[in-house]
Amino acid sequence: MTFRRLVLGLAALAIPLGAAAADRWQLPIAVKKLDNGLTVVVSEDASSPTVGVSVVYHVGMRLEPKGRTGFAHLFEHLMFQGTPNAPKGTFDRVIEGGGGMNNGSTRADYTNYIETAPVSALEPILWLEADRMKTLDFSAENLKNQQDVVKEEIRVNVQNKPYGLFFWSDINRLAFSKWENAHDGYGSFADLEGARLEDVRAFHRDFYGPNNAVIGIVGDIKAEQAFALVEKYFGAIPARPVPPRPDVAEPLNTREKRESQTDALAQVPALAVGWKMPERGSADQAPMDVLAQLLVGDSASRLYQGLVKGREQLLNIEGGVNWPLGDAWDYAGPAPLVLFGLYKPGVQVDAVLEAIDEEIARIVKDGVDAATLKRVKTKMLADYNDGLEAFISRADTLAKAQLLWGDAKTVNQIPAWIDAVQGADLQRVAARYLTAANRVVIDRTPAPAAAAGDKP
Amino acid sequence: MRTTVKTLALPFGLAVALSAGAAGAAETTLPKDLPPYGQDKPLPVPAITQKTLDNGLAVWVLSRTDGPPKVDVVLAVRGGKASDPADRPAMSDLLASLLTEGTRTRSSIEIAEQLQAIGASIDATAGNDGITVAGSGLASGAERLVGLLADVGLNASFPEAEVTLAKANALQALKAAEAQPSYQASRAIARAIYGDHPYARTLTTETSIEKTDRAALAAAHTARFRPDRALLVVSGRIDAATALKYANGAFGGWKAQGEAPAEVVAAPREAKPQYVLVERSGSVQSAVRLGRPVFAANDADEIPAALANTILGGGGLDTRLNRNLREDKGYTYGAYSAFSVARRGGAFTSGADVRNEVTGAAVGEFVKELQKLIDTPVDAAELERAKRAAAGGYLFRNQLQSAVARSLAANWLVGRPPEYLGQFVPRTREVTAEQVQTMARRYFDPKTLSIVVVGDKAVAEQLQAYGKFDASPAGD
Repeated sequence: MTFRRLVLGLAALAIPLGAAAADRWQLPIAVKKLDNGLTVVVSEDASSPTVGVSVVYHVGMRLEPKGRTGFAHLFEHLMFQGTPNAPKGTFDRVIEGGGGMNNGSTRADYTNYIETAPVSALEPILWLEADRMKTLDFSAENLKNQQDVVKEEIRVNVQNKPYGLFFWSDINRLAFSKWENAHDGYGSFADLEGARLEDVRAFHRDFYGPNNAVIGIVGDIKAEQAFALVEKYFGAIPARPVPPRPDVAEPLNTREKRESQTDALAQVPALAVGWKMPERGSADQAPMDVLAQLLVGDSASRLYQGLVKGREQLLNIEGGVNWPLGDAWDYAGPAPLVLFGLYKPGVQVDAVLEAIDEEIARIVKDGVDAATLKRVKTKMLADYNDGLEAFISRADTLAKAQLLWGDAKTVNQIPAWIDAVQGADLQRVAARYLTAANRVVIDRTPAPAAAAGDKP
Repeated sequence: MRTTVKTLALPFGLAVALSAGAAGAAETTLPKDLPPYGQDKPLPVPAITQKTLDNGLAVWVLSRTDGPPKVDVVLAVRGGKASDPADRPAMSDLLASLLTEGTRTRSSIEIAEQLQAIGASIDATAGNDGITVAGSGLASGAERLVGLLADVGLNASFPEAEVTLAKANALQALKAAEAQPSYQASRAIARAIYGDHPYARTLTTETSIEKTDRAALAAAHTARFRPDRALLVVSGRIDAATALKYANGAFGGWKAQGEAPAEVVAAPREAKPQYVLVERSGSVQSAVRLGRPVFAANDADEIPAALANTILGGGGLDTRLNRNLREDKGYTYGAYSAFSVARRGGAFTSGADVRNEVTGAAVGEFVKELQKLIDTPVDAAELERAKRAAAGGYLFRNQLQSAVARSLAANWLVGRPPEYLGQFVPRTREVTAEQVQTMARRYFDPKTLSIVVVGDKAVAEQLQAYGKFDASPAGD
């Protein structure tokens, strides 16, 4: 339990509160577990007559069946296709017609279903979420419809778009060795088309029970009221057996991997770099988050100033830990630190990599001066608060922390963990993780002649 | 669900009858056990403290004591892309992005580091009617944030080296953007809608970037950044007196220089429909867009048209377009429609990205859905749902203080009064089904809409039924 070790370690330290302490935003957090195993997290905020709700299930792309790439995401779409009690169309109708918005997303370690609405729509929302936790309308017609919709989603985001998310799917394929971590979570069309209703039934039965879920509720409601409502609508759903979770852990890589790709749709070459990161709960996690901010967090960052400005090699640079589908705190299995940038005519990829290495080596050798470290941490606190502002994001962050860390209150602790990071920690994690041996590199160049939609 | 009638308590003493979304819904029977919506709470209306400084700068403050410990500061100035020279379209993009790249006393890196030190960022963006410089940061740094924002807004110096780098990067970024089907579609539909009007020239070109230089940027900056044509919004964990003190300290000495940009001419409300196929070889989808010019902001049609659009394709997935093209046909990941209104004109657009083989069929479904709203009045339940969706969207934006501050600035730029924000929901509630149908007749008539398709030239034969399509090479 690395997580416990980290918490105890920090609790034992007397953390000096910097100037940013006044800007620390502590949320009220109440947690209750129902008898059927459903965990409820509530944070009251009466500043707006609205609520945010997030139901997070402990299943994502890593656990989809082999030979069924993209299934976790296809299944997420099917959660919106109706139940025996609430036919297709009811879900969106009731929530949007009640003044709300809803969405769902599939990630490596979880799948979340999120809503925000005037508080007057909370009870219908909870009823609808409970209803689809019980069972779905397993219909061939709806499955076919959403297979088509998901294929259009992949066309619009991958096959018809320059770069096509290669900095996500291909970085994972190259960086990780276990199938769970390495395969394409959007899925191949062949696998998506192969999905059968029995796969849908089994996935719902195995992974969508109350004991494999957390619900977060934030907004204009008292914790006791929220607990009572969740009990009312979800309390009678029986727990269901969950299959044993495979061990998806992987050691760091020991040999660099590089790949060259061509892109029939792109006009400007691109580079992506990935390094395997510390596991969730490691004492290296907070330092790595700070290091990522120092390197690529904003326009004061070392790589922006060094490569976009300074050396003028890149047009732009983006990235971070668990980027682009998450952040440094919402992964459970292996995750990379990713950098992605477009580079200029005449620039050699090796020169860019050399420049990145120089910036990293400077941190390993000299550490970071106190003023810079303080600035970086201050910006991180502001960004962290921003991420919690919308009730829907706050509910989701709390539910995910409960699900992935076993404790929603980590949401209040993370700013202190970040504040405790010292320059020596950055030197240590830079030297340990940001090595050439632990790195994967993809160089993607325009290929005007090839057929569009080709993806390696 | 049984029919319930509830009362929405509005702070203006209005009491509006509000039925639950499902009341009288002919098209769907809701589950018998589904609980009804609860009582609606009063709609909060932003309390705005307004003051005009001696130099003419309007300052609006929205204090709050809850929410995250942050402060948002937004400076808006009149004169955006529509004021750019005709041979330098979207020069304002460069102008906006260079504001934070150096002032008389601060270098680019100093600005970036000083912002970081107070947990803040500043984004400057150019729109049709103005430039918006938006800062957001920790509440403890409020005074320094106001000061930094004033410095980049008032004292930007456009250092030669930064201009050269920004131009080089903009040329490459344009190449990258032109590879996106959505970018090509936006450019083509804007031209079809606005013709020769400056609102058609909101996307840059290679020539524009090459022609833009430091002198042109500095001159445009001087002309547009003037206190008598600017608004400052401060919102968040700060009281009004303190906010006004900081505003006066940082902006009180600001003086207008030279001539202000000329008023933009009104955009036409009608345009002859055009049919354009932008060829994109090997494309596996067609980006379909339909559009026409409409009214400017503050037009009497604005609120009823917005509601008609919510029903058609402006909401989430329970819209006419998504129920048909996505949930029934499976043609697309998402279909949308929108009114985008500016100070001197506006546009209605709709669209979806669909696989090649259903390109013509998808256009046919757009036409059907538009025509249906013209031919048949919406029923009471669907109208009510759209009104609740509009109110919910307002409430959601109100959770986010940066969204409120930016909405106020955006409204001001297009000429809407500060009260518009709080009046939007009550005015929406007054719209009738007849008005929705009138709006559909005025703005959704398929015969009046231009159609743009970005895709493989092989889809051309599917489009013959909808107009005589001209082929336009990509990158034009």
